[in-house]
Amino acid sequence: MSDEFDDIQAIFFEECTEGLTTAEQGLSAMQGGDVSAEVIAGVFRAVHSIKGGAGAFGHADLTAFAHKFENVLDEVRGGKIPPSPGVVKVMLSAFDVLSDHVECAKGLAPRPADQAALDALEQVLANKGADDGAPAANSAATVAPVAAEPPAAAGEADEFGFVPMAVSLDDFDAPAAPAAVDGAWIVTFKPSRAALANAGEPLLIIRELETLGAEIIGVDTGTVPSLRDLDPEDAYFTWTLRLPAELPESDITDCFDFVAPDSVVEVRRDAVAAAPVAEVAPAPAAAPAEDDFGFVPVTAGVEDLAAEMQRVVEQIAAASPPIGSVETPAIAPKAGAGDAQQTIRVDLGKLDLLLNLVGELVIRNSILADRLSPADRQRVELPELARLTRQIQDNVMSLRAQPIKQAFSRVPRMLRDLSVETGKQINLETIGETTEVDKGVIEKIGDPLTHMIRNAADHGLESAEERIAAGKSPEGTIKLSAEQRGARIFVRVQDNGRGINRERVKAKAIEKGIISADAQLSNEEIDQLICAPGFSTAETISNISGRGVGMDVVRSNVEALGGRVEIHSVPGEGTTFTMILPLTLAILDGMIVRLAGQRFVLPLAHVLETVQPEIGQVKRTSPDSEVIDMRGEYVPVKRATEIFGLNDDRQVEDSLVVIVESEGSGKVGLVVDTIDDRREVVIKSLDQNLHPIRGLGGATILGDGSIALILDIEALVASTNRYTPKGLAA
Amino acid sequence: MSKLILTVDDSASMRMLLKTSLTAQGFRIESANDGQHGLERMHEVKPDLLITDINMPKMDGFELIEAVRQVNEFRGTPILVLSTEFSDEKKARARSAGATGWITKPFEATKLGAAIRRVCP
Repeated sequence: MSDEFDDIQAIFFEECTEGLTTAEQGLSAMQGGDVSAEVIAGVFRAVHSIKGGAGAFGHADLTAFAHKFENVLDEVRGGKIPPSPGVVKVMLSAFDVLSDHVECAKGLAPRPADQAALDALEQVLANKGADDGAPAANSAATVAPVAAEPPAAAGEADEFGFVPMAVSLDDFDAPAAPAAVDGAWIVTFKPSRAALANAGEPLLIIRELETLGAEIIGVDTGTVPSLRDLDPEDAYFTWTLRLPAELPESDITDCFDFVAPDSVVEVRRDAVAAAPVAEVAPAPAAAPAEDDFGFVPVTAGVEDLAAEMQRVVEQIAAASPPIGSVETPAIAPKAGAGDAQQTIRVDLGKLDLLLNLVGELVIRNSILADRLSPADRQRVELPELARLTRQIQDNVMSLRAQPIKQAFSRVPRMLRDLSVETGKQINLETIGETTEVDKGVIEKIGDPLTHMIRNAADHGLESAEERIAAGKSPEGTIKLSAEQRGARIFVRVQDNGRGINRERVKAKAIEKGIISADAQLSNEEIDQLICAPGFSTAETISNISGRGVGMDVVRSNVEALGGRVEIHSVPGEGTTFTMILPLTLAILDGMIVRLAGQRFVLPLAHVLETVQPEIGQVKRTSPDSEVIDMRGEYVPVKRATEIFGLNDDRQVEDSLVVIVESEGSGKVGLVVDTIDDRREVVIKSLDQNLHPIRGLGGATILGDGSIALILDIEALVASTNRYTPKGLAA
Repeated sequence: MSKLILTVDDSASMRMLLKTSLTAQGFRIESANDGQHGLERMHEVKPDLLITDINMPKMDGFELIEAVRQVNEFRGTPILVLSTEFSDEKKARARSAGATGWITKPFEATKLGAAIRRVCP
């Protein structure tokens, strides 16, 4: 049971995550001016569900906080509190605290300090949102007791329903309660027509009272009309029962939980026997509406009356359609009509193993293709096998894929906090949240992403005054985007701030001994210095990005994932950090090319066209650079053999130039010896087995069992000719 | 034959929690994930008792109760509302829609069982 409980709780936490995302999107929309009923209801429902589940799983703090938050949302939903910017702001802060409470419930964080947020919510409730202003500090006293109690407090039970969790403490607290045991309980009960209409069966209540030791001491049948006038859907009897004196009153009132408000229920001590203590007997606190019908208990001829009642009941039953729940036949449910979306939770390790096995299957497939003659391939239906294998691979991959939204979801909150800490106004734009990325990647980009965002907010964006002085809008913008290109994921953090101050970066690098004083560096190389170990441009260590973690850690984290970080900065216009990450293991459409006789895989997604250069088509423009004339357009040419330091004395006219398109450098021609084949290859990461090498995106096993390295086009074409030493030595 | 209960809640964890705790008490449980789905399932499974949440997408609990009560066959089926809401106004609304009773979340399994037996022995 407890394992099962844990499993269900894990699902609840997943729902919390979804709910928080919904709530945050809704609140952001409200902040942006969309205060439609739909948006508000969505936020309400999300918080409401979190509260409900939290209660069920015993997270009292989370429940209490969500409850207060929900109260405000309910008022906003009901139009009693206007969703003014001030109110939305309070709700956004409350949302942040709610997220913290969820983390705390998961056991991942300490209990958050929620008093300020509670006060602010209380303030909004008290003022009906009239005053957008700051929360009053002195409201703490009124808030605390409410927050400390679960919402289902005893006092909130009303005539309609009842709160099962609530136990009336009156019975225990009242000093005279033990003495009252002398007098038996007398209960008067007259069910209403409404009770029957809502399928509340009075006999069930009588029976339950009987199990508590009740005996029927009176049934008033005086109001039963003649059979002709009898309405089978109405109730006509009034019962009087006597219950043992030692029963707690709540045991009796509990039985009337679901009695309709217009029914008559009276619970009292037998006046005669309890006379000495009558004045201190506890009041029937939770008893439903007590209209005085002036009923006089009948104490004589009980047996006869009961028998008569039974007869009348039988008459009624015979005269009326079977509406009682007791008679409703239970029909077996149809099979296969279960919930539309069922999910199971699977150990990630099992998925990894499956993925690896499928990778092997793909490789065996291509080995088979290589070894069979074309006729044999058809005979064993190899293409069909290949197609199935590919489908299995795609499906296994998709099992691990998750929208990157999960990694992005922390950002809005982080920016709100940063906004408060820095005093800067920061807008967030998010693009491509639905891009699906392997779960492992999502988990690992969290920290680098956090640092890049902090960096952008702290160093990248200027203060409002500076921005105005520079002729910009006072609000800075951070754009967060994700997209998949082939086998790589691009995650960008772009700010429209001041850009990298290259003078200062260089000075700092010299001061820290990272570069020599007379180093000649290009702008790009200066920008890269930010990622050098031990580099920090902050004059004073701020508490935002100066937490002992620098961009060097970001870079090493990303490189550990087999990715890289690119920095692009324009002074005065802003900086873009791009994390280029691989899918951990994927099929890649590749072109098998030869470089100095060795086979490499070139990702087909980058290839535009292939050219057999004629004499004079490739021209050397300087000792270090060549271009190819493509119908009048000059495209730079790179020799991969040079970059990798491979020995190659082949003439360019004997080679092929593959025109590839790269993100950073646009069109570039890559010189290769020949093209061998085109095929799907399984990427095996190098960094897991070796270490990351710039210019290489991984390795694969070809059909003949030999290994080919996969070229990382972006890194290859972005590298300058004299970049080699660092890249290969890394 | 043990009693068959249809639980309607948009939260998967709540549905599972209800199923686990009520199955352990000898009830048979079917579930639906919103009001609209719940109404369909009512006709399919014809339960002895309907337990529904209030705040749900597509069709909320109030609408579900009204719709169920309009079906002659279900006029006598007890309906319990299981909700985190507890305002008098909401309870009165549920009552007038035709709900038999109201249980406030969070629930304690044994008390929930007792409450169920109160309307559906």
